[in-house]
Amino acid sequence: MNSAELIRTSLTNGLKILIKPIFNAPIISSWLWYDVGSRNEISGKTGLSHWVEHMQFKGTKRYSGSEMEKAIARTGGYTNAFTSPDWTAYFQTLPSQALEMTLAFEASRMFEAQYEPEEVELERTVILSEREGNENDPQFLLGEQVQKAAFRKHPYRTEVLGETEDLLRITRDDLFGHYRNYYQPSNATLCLAGAIEPAQAIASVEKAFGEIQTKLVNRQIPEPEDSLEQADLVEVHGPEDANFIQLAWRSPRAADPDFFAYTLIESILSGPSSLNMFGSGGIGNRTSLLYQQLVENQIAASVNGSLTATIDPATYSVYITCRPDHQPEEVLSALNETVDSLLQAKVNPSSLNRALKQARANFAYGSDNITNQAFWMGYSESFADYDWFCDYVDRLAQVSPEDVQRVAQKYLKPENRVVGIYRGQNA
Amino acid sequence: MPELAYNPANLPGKESILRQSFENGATLLAYPNLNSPAVYFRGYLPAGSISDPQGKEGLANFNAAMLSTGTRKHDFQELHYQIESCGASLSVSSGSLSTLFGGQCLKEDLPLIFDLLLEMLSMPTYPQKHFERIKQQLLTIIRIQAQDTEEMSSQAFDRLYYRDHPYAIPDIGYADSLGRISLDDLSNFHQQYFGPKGLVMAISGGISPENTSQLFDETFSTWQAPNQSAQEELPEFTPPDQACYEHIAIPGKSQSDLIIGTQAPVAMTAAYQNCVLGNSILGQFGMMGRIGEVVREQNGLAYYAGSTLETGLGPTCWKVYAGVNPDNLQKAIQKIKEELRRFINEPVTTEELADVKSQALGRLPLSFETNAGIVSYLLSLQRYQLDLDHLKTLPELLANITADDILKSAQSYWDLDKLIIASAGRKP
Repeated sequence: MNSAELIRTSLTNGLKILIKPIFNAPIISSWLWYDVGSRNEISGKTGLSHWVEHMQFKGTKRYSGSEMEKAIARTGGYTNAFTSPDWTAYFQTLPSQALEMTLAFEASRMFEAQYEPEEVELERTVILSEREGNENDPQFLLGEQVQKAAFRKHPYRTEVLGETEDLLRITRDDLFGHYRNYYQPSNATLCLAGAIEPAQAIASVEKAFGEIQTKLVNRQIPEPEDSLEQADLVEVHGPEDANFIQLAWRSPRAADPDFFAYTLIESILSGPSSLNMFGSGGIGNRTSLLYQQLVENQIAASVNGSLTATIDPATYSVYITCRPDHQPEEVLSALNETVDSLLQAKVNPSSLNRALKQARANFAYGSDNITNQAFWMGYSESFADYDWFCDYVDRLAQVSPEDVQRVAQKYLKPENRVVGIYRGQNA
Repeated sequence: MPELAYNPANLPGKESILRQSFENGATLLAYPNLNSPAVYFRGYLPAGSISDPQGKEGLANFNAAMLSTGTRKHDFQELHYQIESCGASLSVSSGSLSTLFGGQCLKEDLPLIFDLLLEMLSMPTYPQKHFERIKQQLLTIIRIQAQDTEEMSSQAFDRLYYRDHPYAIPDIGYADSLGRISLDDLSNFHQQYFGPKGLVMAISGGISPENTSQLFDETFSTWQAPNQSAQEELPEFTPPDQACYEHIAIPGKSQSDLIIGTQAPVAMTAAYQNCVLGNSILGQFGMMGRIGEVVREQNGLAYYAGSTLETGLGPTCWKVYAGVNPDNLQKAIQKIKEELRRFINEPVTTEELADVKSQALGRLPLSFETNAGIVSYLLSLQRYQLDLDHLKTLPELLANITADDILKSAQSYWDLDKLIIASAGRKP
C-alpha cells in the first residue's frame, strides 16, 4: 500500500480533501466525513449525532430530500450515511460524470439543511423504531449494558442510537444547534476515490464548497479512560431460548503502538476481523484459540471477537452463543484457561506469520472496491492519518511474540474486564 | 487519458466471459479482473432441501455443514489450518434446490483452495464428534430463530403461501426432524446426490479465464460419480386462492416484522422485467420507493419498509415488508394496502418510469466493479440459461417497457382480496 498515490489538499475554509485516482471502472466514491459522533455528546442529549445524520436526508434550502435521493438513484448510484462514536460520514458511489452533482448536494447539506419541525417529529418515531428493532436482538441489549459497565463517564458507554428517554426529549433546536456547530468545512474531510482527474476534481470541490464560511466548533472532548479499573459482572434477562455472553476488555486507541500487537492478539484469540466495511467476506476463525476451546470442545455454539480502531481507548469484545447443554459459567471457566495461556506464555512466531498473511489477504479483498478504498481514506484520518492504513501490514510485521505477551498482560487480565451474561428464560 | 465515461462495450459479454462445459458434467464461467490480486468464486450443485425426506427436514442443510468438518485427506484441524493460514475462506451451505459453495483467496493460493474444495465436496468423512457438534449448533440456531421476529414472520409467510409445497419448509428443518437424522442419512444423501453433473462454478479475479479453466479441469475433472442421481423434481404449485393472515406472538419484543405478499412472475420472462421496474417504483427507488415514502417518510411508522421481488427457479414471491412498533402494525398494513391499491389502479408516472429505467442502466458499471458482483451475474447467466450477451439486449428491452405494461403485470400478480400477510412480534 502506497500513500504516495494519495493527493492531499485543502480549501481556504479548512475543508480537507483527499483524492485517490483509481481507473478500474468509470465510477467514483465520494465520502464526506465530519469529526463528530456520539463521543461528542453529553448525558441527557445522547443520540444527537445519529439523529442529525437522519435529518440531513430531509432536504435543504436548495434541494428536497427526495430530489437528492432520486437524482443519485437515477444515475444507478447509491448513497448512505453512518454515525459512529467518533465520526459521521455520508457517501455516494456513482458514475464519474455525476461527481459535480453529488458534491453540490453535500455542500448544500453542510450549511443549509432545513430541519422543519414536522420532519423532526416524524423522524423521532423512525429513530425510536430503529432502536426498537435493535432491542429485539438480545445481543444488543447485552452489549448496551456491557458498554455502560466498561466506561464510568466516557460517552463510549452509550449506544450511538442514544437513550430512549433522550430520544423522547430532544428538540428541534437541540438538533439544529448540534448541526450548525459541527457541520463546518474546517471540521470535515472529503475523500474521493475512483475514476477522477485530480485537478478537475479539486476544481469541482472548490466550486461546490469554496464559498461556505467556517466557524469555530465548540467541541465536547471527553476524558479518555485508559484502563478498566476492576472486574464487573452484568446480567440481562429476557425471553430468549438461549444464553449469550459478552466480555469486554479495554483496547488502546488506534494511534497507540500497542494497537498493532492487540490486532494480532485478536486474530489469534478470536479470529481476524475484516478491515473492509464494503466488499466480500472475511476469513474464518475455526483455528482461533477460543473457537478451538469453546466450539470444538462442544461447550459453545459460536464465538467471535471485535476490535475497532477508535480515537480514544475503547473495548475489545468477545461474543459467545452458549449451547443449551452448557451453562454460561462453564463457558467462562473454559475461556479463562485460554486467555490465561496468552498471559503466561509467548505465542509461536508462526502464529504471527499466519495473522500477517490474513491481514494481507484482507487488504487484497478490499482493494477491488472503490467504496471501501474511499472509506479507509476517511476512516484512518479520523483517528490517525492515511499513513496508518498504508503502513498497517508493515506495522503488524514488526510485532514480536514478546510484544504480544506484554500487551496481553497489560490489557487482558481477568480483574480488568466486564463479563456480561444474557440469560434466556427458556434456555 | 483513462476512460472516465461508461462504455457499454466494456460490459461482460461473449468476448470476455468464458463458459465451458466439461465431460463429467461440470460447468465453469470465468471472467478476468486482472487488476485484482485475489479471486472470488461461488457455485452450486443440484442437491438441495427439496430432496429432504419427510420427517428428516434439514438433511441437505445438515449435510452442507458437515462437509467442512473433515475429508479423507485432511481432518477438521488440517483443513481449516490450511484455509485460514493463507487468509482464504471456503464455505458450503444449502438452499432449496442446491448445495452452494463459495470462497476467496489470493490468486497464488487458488490451486490449494480448489483442491480443498474438491475434497470437501467429494470425499467428506462425517466424523461422529463433529456430527454431534453441528447438530447442537443447528438446534441452537433454531432456538434463537424462534425469538427472531424477522425470521418468524418469514417462516409464517412461507407456510401460508407455499402450504404443502417443499418451499414451505425452512431449509434448516425442525428441532425434531434434526433429531431423527443420522450419520448414515448424511452419507447416503451425499452418495446419492453429490457429483460433478450439474455442478456450476463462477469465478472472477486476477487470473485469466484460460488459466482458470486449465486449473479447474486439472482439479475437478478428476471427480467422477457414476451413481449420482438427479434430485427430486419440484412439484406443481398453485398459489393460494384466498387471503390469509397469521401473527406469530413473541412476547417481550419491541418491534414487529410484517410481510405482505403475492405470487411473483417466472424469472427472466417479459412479465418479470415489467415487474422488476414496477417493484423498484413500489418499494426500492430512492428511500425504499412508494412504500418507504408512505410508511417511513410520511407516517414515521418504520425504520425500514420496502418491497422485494424474489428471483429463482420454481415459484417465488413478491413481498412488501416493514419493521414497525407493535401498536402501529394495523396502521402499517392499512397504509401498505392503500399503496398497493394505487399500484394496481393507476399507471406509474412518466417520471417514475424514466427514473427506474435510468437507474437500471446506470447501475451496470457499479454492478461489475467487484469480483463478487461479476460472479453474481455469471451465476444468473447459467441459472436462467441466458445468452452471454444478455446485457447488451437490456437497453432495448427496458426502452420498450411502458407504464401500461407495468400496470397490467401488477394487476395480474397483486389481488388485494388474496393477500398473504404474516407478522411476528408482541401482541398489539
